[in-house]
Amino acid sequence: MNRVKPLNRKAHQIAGASTEEAAEKVKAMSSVVAGCATTFDPGWEVDPFLGVAGLCQPMEADLYGCSDPCWWPAQVPDTLHSYPDWNSGKDDAARDWRALQSVFPK
Amino acid sequence: MRNKEWLITPILKVAIVMLALFSNSVLAAKDFIVTAARPNVVFVVDAKAREVVATHKIPNTSMGNSPITLVPSKDGKVAYVIHNRWETISGIDLETGEEVFRAELSGGGVRGKAPFAMDLRPDGKELAVFVNPTQLLPGEYKVLDPYIAIFRTDAGRAAKPVRKLPVPRRVSTLAYSATGKFLYAFSWDMLKLDPQTGEVKGKHPWRSWHRPNRGEPDTLAIWPQWEQANVFATPFYVASTDKPEGHPEAVRAGVWALDLEKDTIRYTEFENASVVLFSSVVNPVRRDEVYTVYTQLTRTNLETGEMDRVDLDHTYYNVNVSNDGSELYIGGTQGDIAVYDSKTLERIGNIRTPGGGDQVLTSLRIFSR
Repeated sequence: MNRVKPLNRKAHQIAGASTEEAAEKVKAMSSVVAGCATTFDPGWEVDPFLGVAGLCQPMEADLYGCSDPCWWPAQVPDTLHSYPDWNSGKDDAARDWRALQSVFPK
Repeated sequence: MRNKEWLITPILKVAIVMLALFSNSVLAAKDFIVTAARPNVVFVVDAKAREVVATHKIPNTSMGNSPITLVPSKDGKVAYVIHNRWETISGIDLETGEEVFRAELSGGGVRGKAPFAMDLRPDGKELAVFVNPTQLLPGEYKVLDPYIAIFRTDAGRAAKPVRKLPVPRRVSTLAYSATGKFLYAFSWDMLKLDPQTGEVKGKHPWRSWHRPNRGEPDTLAIWPQWEQANVFATPFYVASTDKPEGHPEAVRAGVWALDLEKDTIRYTEFENASVVLFSSVVNPVRRDEVYTVYTQLTRTNLETGEMDRVDLDHTYYNVNVSNDGSELYIGGTQGDIAVYDSKTLERIGNIRTPGGGDQVLTSLRIFSR
């Protein structure tokens, strides 16, 4: 058993578990959903009527309304869990949007 | 007897004057808007004066994720707000700015989030909060059953729930009935709960609302704004199952309203879906009138379905109304509250948030003094 080396993240969690009971709590293949929600709306490209007139005006009015509740986790950083400080100090989206940066998986 | 008449008359006059003054003070009760803004601000506005009269900071919170649902006590003394990435509820004294109540929803390896639904019992003594808990295990997240946490509001800054009520998933609104005897939970259906036990005492169908040639209605009811009329109202969309896809009447839009005093439902399906509708409020004086906002302001008559609509200068999420029914206060999204005349639908004022921070998804509430 000593010759078995963990190769991936899950295996490291089993190897690093403090007790056998803790090791049993590590479940393989449990992470299917990427991001914090399964919501994948069309986004800002089209509105519910497949046009553009129904989109938020301007887009910045809706920007933090989407990142706060993790509404579009693929399009906007998730400030609820993964990137809580993405927009810290940029409290007026219409004024501060230029200062917002892209995020990358940690 | 005659000797006393000279005394009674002035006493009567004084009483009449006092009564008149009292009536005037009731009639002239001022509306105060209380709402939140980024990054951590709770503020109070004298609505008619269009003036911010108090600005307070929520302590120990996330500065990136914005405050959401807010509910003031009826006397306007304390506002309760969900913040800190939805994991904390604070009660802020609106006179002093002091944090007088605080409840942490996470702890012990369980992360608790309060996604929007929260209400204060009308007597101000208990606060009901819908909580989604997740157990954080070494290799996975385990989703636990949601519950309604009931807090005593005098529990101070380390408040723990005094009761946890079982409840279905997807509760977007909690609303006490006018007397506080029942607690409505808007989930798959509008459930009427016993706030002591969580027992379901009644139900207004939503997902199970069956009508000929209509599908299942859809709504996003996360903005509590029923304090003036005591009527919960929300816009909805519904498919016409007898119309082919692409037909102008294939999706219809309407407003659905629950009277929190009478436990009765009214609704109007007033147009083919053509614009986005986010949140509604009922006029407390002209009670057939309901106003709905997003990028337009729409006024609809709940009885006749008649409709008027004007474009707004930008998208707003929420709307509330003055106690005399004359003015509309439209907020959420960016850093301003627009004021509209409820009769003419003309813009008559504008109020900036302190510091200019966006309001995002918070609630826009009103108390009168």
